[in-house]
Amino acid sequence: MEFAILFITIIFVSVFQIFIPFFAKRTVVFGVSIPNEQIKNPKVMKYKKIYTIITSIMALIVLGGFFFWNQGQNVNETQLALAGMMIPFIVLLVGLALYLYFHFTLSKLKKSQNWYRDVKQVYYADLATRSKDEMLAPFAHLMPIIISAGLVILTVNVYDRLPSQIPTHWGPTGQADAFSNKSWMTALGLPIILIIMQLMFFAINLFTKKSGIKINPGNVTSSKLRQLRLRKYTSWFLFVVNILLSLLFAILQLNLIYENVVNETFMMILPLGFMVITLAGTIWLAVKVGSVDSDFEGKPIMENTNNVEAMDEDKYWKGGLFYYNRNDPSVFVEKRFGIGYTLNFANPIGYLIIILPIVLICILPFFFNK
Amino acid sequence: MVILDPESNIPLYMQLRTQIIESIVRGNLSKGDTLPSVRGLAGDLGINMHTVNKSYHELEAKGIIEIVPKKGAVIIADTEKGPSKKQREDITEELRPAVAEALVHGMKEEDLHQLISEIILIVKEV
Repeated sequence: MEFAILFITIIFVSVFQIFIPFFAKRTVVFGVSIPNEQIKNPKVMKYKKIYTIITSIMALIVLGGFFFWNQGQNVNETQLALAGMMIPFIVLLVGLALYLYFHFTLSKLKKSQNWYRDVKQVYYADLATRSKDEMLAPFAHLMPIIISAGLVILTVNVYDRLPSQIPTHWGPTGQADAFSNKSWMTALGLPIILIIMQLMFFAINLFTKKSGIKINPGNVTSSKLRQLRLRKYTSWFLFVVNILLSLLFAILQLNLIYENVVNETFMMILPLGFMVITLAGTIWLAVKVGSVDSDFEGKPIMENTNNVEAMDEDKYWKGGLFYYNRNDPSVFVEKRFGIGYTLNFANPIGYLIIILPIVLICILPFFFNK
Repeated sequence: MVILDPESNIPLYMQLRTQIIESIVRGNLSKGDTLPSVRGLAGDLGINMHTVNKSYHELEAKGIIEIVPKKGAVIIADTEKGPSKKQREDITEELRPAVAEALVHGMKEEDLHQLISEIILIVKEV
């Protein structure tokens, strides 16, 4: 069972990694901005193909190796979990290495052939687009906080009746496997972590909404549709994750308070269901966003008659990975390689929203007296 | 729709200001409409917030928009109503150097009238 879960996760990560160049934006190849007329450049297509072939072969080797390793020897649970954690990282690292290689190769080619010589680069915005933005309202993320507040109140009320050992870690079957001495901190740990995450989701949604809607003037229809879909569907996805996480934490906390009220099978299915829904959501997001303004769209770009295009923003992408643009007030911008958002590292608000909650959650266990 | 050319001699904030005014003239934006927030529009364009802020403040000074707290920049310009005395003076002041330049090159008055008619057509029709 555990093997199957890990195996499926690795397949999922690999397939995603293999197809990234094809559902990334057409005008950004391996993180390099290219003008519309170079989209079908044979070299560009060749790089994408080589990337996909190498990552596919690597994925097959890794998956085969993992399968036979598990079949052959007596693999214990710890080894299995360790391998299951390591392999997706290997897949991601190989993908990243190839990405960087092609990023710098393509940058060089673009510079040597001066692709932007005859292209007029402009800043573009549509004053009416914001009224078409269908992102979820940020306050939606504040509603699940009611659940957290309820959990806190309930826990405080029954604190005296709680057992002297409080679970602080749960295994993959949903059963607690580590305990700490009872204290306010351990009893309220789950709801506190939940509240921090819910606030983080709220802030992410709020500042994504305020971030720029980037439209390519050389390809208005598709690029606008992609931006609007990305905004809409990521905000929904985040909301679903928020609800699922709140439910998971609420059930764990209720189980802690009322000592295993929830039956064992249900506790086993719960994290699994969580994973299945999240993976399905990721696929759905990749299809909805990745099918627009990418190689999957198929349709050629027709409207580029006046030969104006979006600014070449490569200089703001440090190492082809990190967006650093002091002029852009956006906190979140669309990723260049993959589906979703990345931070504008020049904007301190971004650090506050992402790093602070993670640091808080990481230092919280140090307040648990073991 | 706003297109700003970073290589033009005209500063970005002036290009933005002019394009918003032209959008109102064409009817793409009308009285009572709200412009995007300064942060939002700067993010959409990928330019500095100060640049957008400067454009908005000029539009406000010209009586074209009103910056209402919590609501944002609301268009108050009315294309039906004529300009106020102050607005007429401002337009005169801005037009004067261009007219003088035309005259120094020996442009005829009818020619100048013709030119203005052409510009009106361009602004309204693009």
